Order: sequence, then structure tokens, then C-alpha cells
Amino acid sequence: MTSDSIGWGKLGAAGPHILVAELDLGPRVLAPSIALGVISIGMPSYGPVTVETAASLSECIDRAHRANYDLVVVDESLGAEAEEIVARLRCGGASLVVLQRTPSDAAALAWFRRGAAEVVLADRDLAALRHAAREQIERVRAARAGGAPGDVSAADGILRHLGSAVVLVDASGEITFANPAAEQILGSSMIDLHGKPLRGFLAEEVGESQLASALAGVAATPAIETRVRRRDGSFVPIALSCGPVFGTDGRPGGVVAAFRDLSDAQQWRAHVLQTEKMASIGQLAAGVAHEINNPMGFIHANLFQMTEYVADLRQIWNRAEVLLKTIGGSDPEAVRIAAAELSEAATELDVGFLLQDLAKAIRESQEGSERIRHIVQDLRDFSHQDTGERVLADLNQCLDSTANIVWPMMKHIVVLSKHYGELPPVPCYPMQIKQVFMNLLVNAYQAIEEAVAIRAYPGIGTVTLTTTPNDGGVLVEIADTGTGIAPDHLDRIFDPFFTTKKVGAGTGLGLSTSFNIIRRHGGTMRVESALGRGTAFKIHLPLLGEEIGSDLV
Amino acid sequence: MNETGQPVVLMVDDEPRILSALVRALRREGYELLTAESPQEALRMAEQHPIDCVLSDHRMPGMTGIELLERIAARRPRAARLLITGWNTEIPVSELERLGVRHVLSKPWKDADLKQELRAALGDACASR
Repeated sequence: MTSDSIGWGKLGAAGPHILVAELDLGPRVLAPSIALGVISIGMPSYGPVTVETAASLSECIDRAHRANYDLVVVDESLGAEAEEIVARLRCGGASLVVLQRTPSDAAALAWFRRGAAEVVLADRDLAALRHAAREQIERVRAARAGGAPGDVSAADGILRHLGSAVVLVDASGEITFANPAAEQILGSSMIDLHGKPLRGFLAEEVGESQLASALAGVAATPAIETRVRRRDGSFVPIALSCGPVFGTDGRPGGVVAAFRDLSDAQQWRAHVLQTEKMASIGQLAAGVAHEINNPMGFIHANLFQMTEYVADLRQIWNRAEVLLKTIGGSDPEAVRIAAAELSEAATELDVGFLLQDLAKAIRESQEGSERIRHIVQDLRDFSHQDTGERVLADLNQCLDSTANIVWPMMKHIVVLSKHYGELPPVPCYPMQIKQVFMNLLVNAYQAIEEAVAIRAYPGIGTVTLTTTPNDGGVLVEIADTGTGIAPDHLDRIFDPFFTTKKVGAGTGLGLSTSFNIIRRHGGTMRVESALGRGTAFKIHLPLLGEEIGSDLV
Repeated sequence: MNETGQPVVLMVDDEPRILSALVRALRREGYELLTAESPQEALRMAEQHPIDCVLSDHRMPGMTGIELLERIAARRPRAARLLITGWNTEIPVSELERLGVRHVLSKPWKDADLKQELRAALGDACASR
């Protein structure tokens, strides 16, 4: 592809802007002639003229989508490409002039039908073309200045420069227009997109049904999160909204589909989720270390002590061996002495206690190692990643294993009261749900910690966990007897970065992340709180939840 | 010190297995060993027994080790004060100094360190009598 830009006058001034589509045959003949022609005729009110050239269909369409031309001159010698250019650009803001190489009324008529505003014959000095160019520029400019009906140039410019993707489809769902943002997201140029069904790019049913209802004339619905499949097979997450376009007869004539790329938003969301998780884990780490260090402490001490016990037993056994040897001999005095020494050692080392306490130390250490095994198991469960699909999970188990992890951190000031109902399995991403539970449990603990600090020791709060089957779903309530939330904070607690915790104690994202996780599960999360009395979070998760959005984070 | 001249050591931890292991480690050190599974029980024992040293856990239900040591110090000012903790949050050094806490042992502990710290603490406590 080649292109030239020949400008007269100041660059960037809003003078007539002309695109010439012609064969690349060495020295250009058309472009300079038109430019000179327009200038020689003189169009002082419109400012300096800019002429650009395109030598192929793709280049022409590409340019037409990026700039706002007043006039596009199409050289008939481009053949089939010339027809395609006219067909594609007929609805744009530019006026189309076709340059005929051989005179033919039938061909001219066909050009008008395709959408040409004017058809002129290539005569010797292109006088007809220059005249037509001037006329068309004046017509387009006048139409723009007057905002005449059918003027789409302003809208056209907006679409071109809009960051959001806009695709127009006709009544059959085929793409008739795509702005540059749409080309970028769909990974195809307008040339490839034209005439293709938009449905083919929608990777998910939720997107297809959005499009289908707009095609059926249903008014635009709120944007949904879905994905498009690009031609190279890759997926791009998008927020998509579709609205119907009605023809003059009042019947649905097509659809405007607007969408934006959510890749960055989703990465950010995933990052936030991970950050929040890491922050919670940081808070937990100290509690878990304590919970492991206690059993480690006594196992370690017991092992040391058991080594000493074994040494003591060895001493006693040594005496017993001596006694056995003397019994085999013939010296009754030696037997008596050996027996006395054995008895003395057994008394001195308190063999009865030794054997009893050795067994006890082993038993206690086994129990301690079992506790460590459980803690590690719980942690491993918690750090587990969700698979990409929802699974049926037992929310009682999710809540209980999460509470087990948080428990060491809070047990010195918290009593846990559990009221688990019989729950049906709930389709969800269990790790995300556990993260929500952990956020709420950590918050509950911190609210109690604060309350205890205000009222001064000794003090203990209660965290009540209640689960009940409810209204086609499951209700999980996590309530604490902590400080409570001030009424003027209550409607802000789900806002990102809103926190009343001291710097470093929270990211301000815990509740907003939790809220979003529950929302994406199609559930709800509510809060009730009274200052000085405590707070209750109520989560409702549906059994047949429609997933809001497709992302897994 | 008790009637037989043995130093009296009070050990406090809400984890009985820890107390059990501490007793095991110290049974031949020639101390009278007392154990309490809660700060409240420890306060009662400090009331009843002529203790020379308190070795307490820090994170316990209802009361921290620091607070317990402070309350025992009011009743038994000459008893040596030691903490043993597996909780790695920082206990403010100023608090430790204010209460005259001799040493903070961490869990898991080394038996040799435990014995040495107790001997040193009791040596000082007995010398100050």
C-alpha cells in the first residue's frame, strides 16, 4: 500500500479534505490536478485544501475510517475495488465522485445506484472532474454548515474518535459499519468485517441473546459482561450493549452494538482480589504461626525429654542385664547385689513415673502433630485456586474451614457460636466464597478487638455464624458484638478504598471485593449494624444464580 | 520459696500440653512447680503461694500475659517475671521494661535456654531477698 499526502496551506486547518482512490501508476495524475483545480477555482471560505491518495480498496477504507473527508474521488480503473469502495463509503460523510475512463450511460447509472453523488468522464484536462469536485465540496460544506437532514458527518467524526467500539448491523445481523475502536477489539479491519454476521464474533450465549433481542426491536438493556472471539481465536472480555435501530416504516432495521474492552478492568479486578487475599493472609499468618508454634513448642520439648527418659531406661536395663548374667552364674551374693542395684536405680529414676510419663509425652506429642496437620490442611484448602467453573459446594463446610483458619487469631477474645442449618449444595466458586467469609470474619474480629480495647480488659465478644436454606437459595449470616458501624459510614462500606481501619490494617477493598464476588454469583449482601452493639452481614446466594459476567476473578 | 527451701515457679498457659511439657523439662531442676491454665487461676495461685518466678504465655483468653504479670507484680513484687510466646506480634519494649520482664522466650523453646533463664531469674530474685 502506498499513499501520498499533498497539502496546500497550513496543515491541520479545516480546509476541504479530499481522498483520491486511483491506481498506483507511477506519477499521479489525478490528485495534483484536482488540488490545483480546486485552488484555481478558488474556495477562499473553506481554507487550505488537503488531498490524499489511496491505491487500493483496503487503504481507501482504512483512510476513510480514520479521517473526515469532504470528497472521495474513485477512479473507475480500479475495477471491482472501485465498486466496493463506493458501496462501503456511500453512507459516510463524504461525497463520492466516480471518474469514468470510457463513456457509458449504463455504467454511470450503475454508479449512481451504488451511491455515487456524481459520475464524470476523464477528459483531457480533467476539467469536468475539477468542476464536479468543487461542486461536491460546496454541497457537502453547505450541508454541514446548515446541519441539513441526513448530515452524518458530525456523528461520523464522533464515532471515528470514540474510545468505545461501535458496530452497526443491518436487519439480518450483518455488519455494515465498524469504527476504529471496534476494528481493534475485533482484531479485523472494516474490510473484513463488512457483511460478516456480528453474532460470529460473540463468544457467549449471553452476548448472542443481547444482540438477538435488539434485532427483534427490544429496547437497549444495561451493558453485560461477555467476550468476543477474534479471528485469531483469542478472546477479549467486553462490556456490551445493543440497541435496536428502526427504519422509516417503524420496523427494526438493525442494531447499534456498543462495547468496550474490559481486559484492563479485569486484570485490575484480579489484582485487587489477589491483593486483598494476600492482605488477609498476612493478617492470618501471625495467628497461624501462633497456632503452629504452640504444638511445635511442646512437641519439641517433649522429644528432648523423651530422649532423656530413654537414657534413664537404658540405665535401668543395663542393671537388669547385669542381674540376668549373675542369675546364670553361681554367686548368690552377686545376684543379691545386682538385684539391689537394679531396684535402687528403678527407685531413683522413678521408673514407674518414667514409663507412665513417657507414654503421656508420646500421646500428647501425637495429638500436637495431628493439630499441626489439620492447620496445614486448612491452609492448603484455603490457598487452593478455583477451577474455571462453578462447582456445587457445601457452604457450611466452606464457612467452617474458613473459621478454623481465622480462629487462632481471634480465640483469645472471641467466642464462636455456630448455627449451621441443613443446606443444599450451592453452585459457586468456593475459594471466592471462602474469601468473602474470611473478610467478614476478620472484620468481625477486628470490630470486637476494638470494642474490647475501648471497654478495657477483660472482655470477650461473640461471633455468630448462622446458615439457613432460604428462598431458593442459602442465607449465611456472620454477626459480631463489636463496635458497630456509624450510620453515616453504613452506605459507604462497600465502596472501594473506604476504610476506617488504621493505615496498614486494611486495604479498604475487603468489603467492596466481597460485595462484587457475591454480586457476580447472582447473590446479595446486606448489612445491619448498631453502634456499640455490633454488626451483621447477611449473604444470600441463589441455587440457580445467573452468573453476572463471565470473568472468573 | 516454700518450707523446704525450694524456689516456687508458677507457669501459666491456656494450653495444658505446654504446661505438661514445661513441667517435664523442669522436673529435675529442684523447683516447686505450679501450673495455671488461665490468668484468673494464676492470680489465685499467686495469692496463695510464695512464688519466686512467673513464666506466662502472652495471648490468653481474657487477659494478656503482660497484664497478668502486672497484676501479679502488685501482689508479689519480688517474683521474677518471664514471658513465653509463640505470637510474633511485637510486645512493646517499653511495656517489658516498665514491668521488669527479664526475658521473652519464644515457642518452640530450647530446654537449655529455658533452664538457664529460670536459673538466672531465680538467682536474682533470691539474691534480692
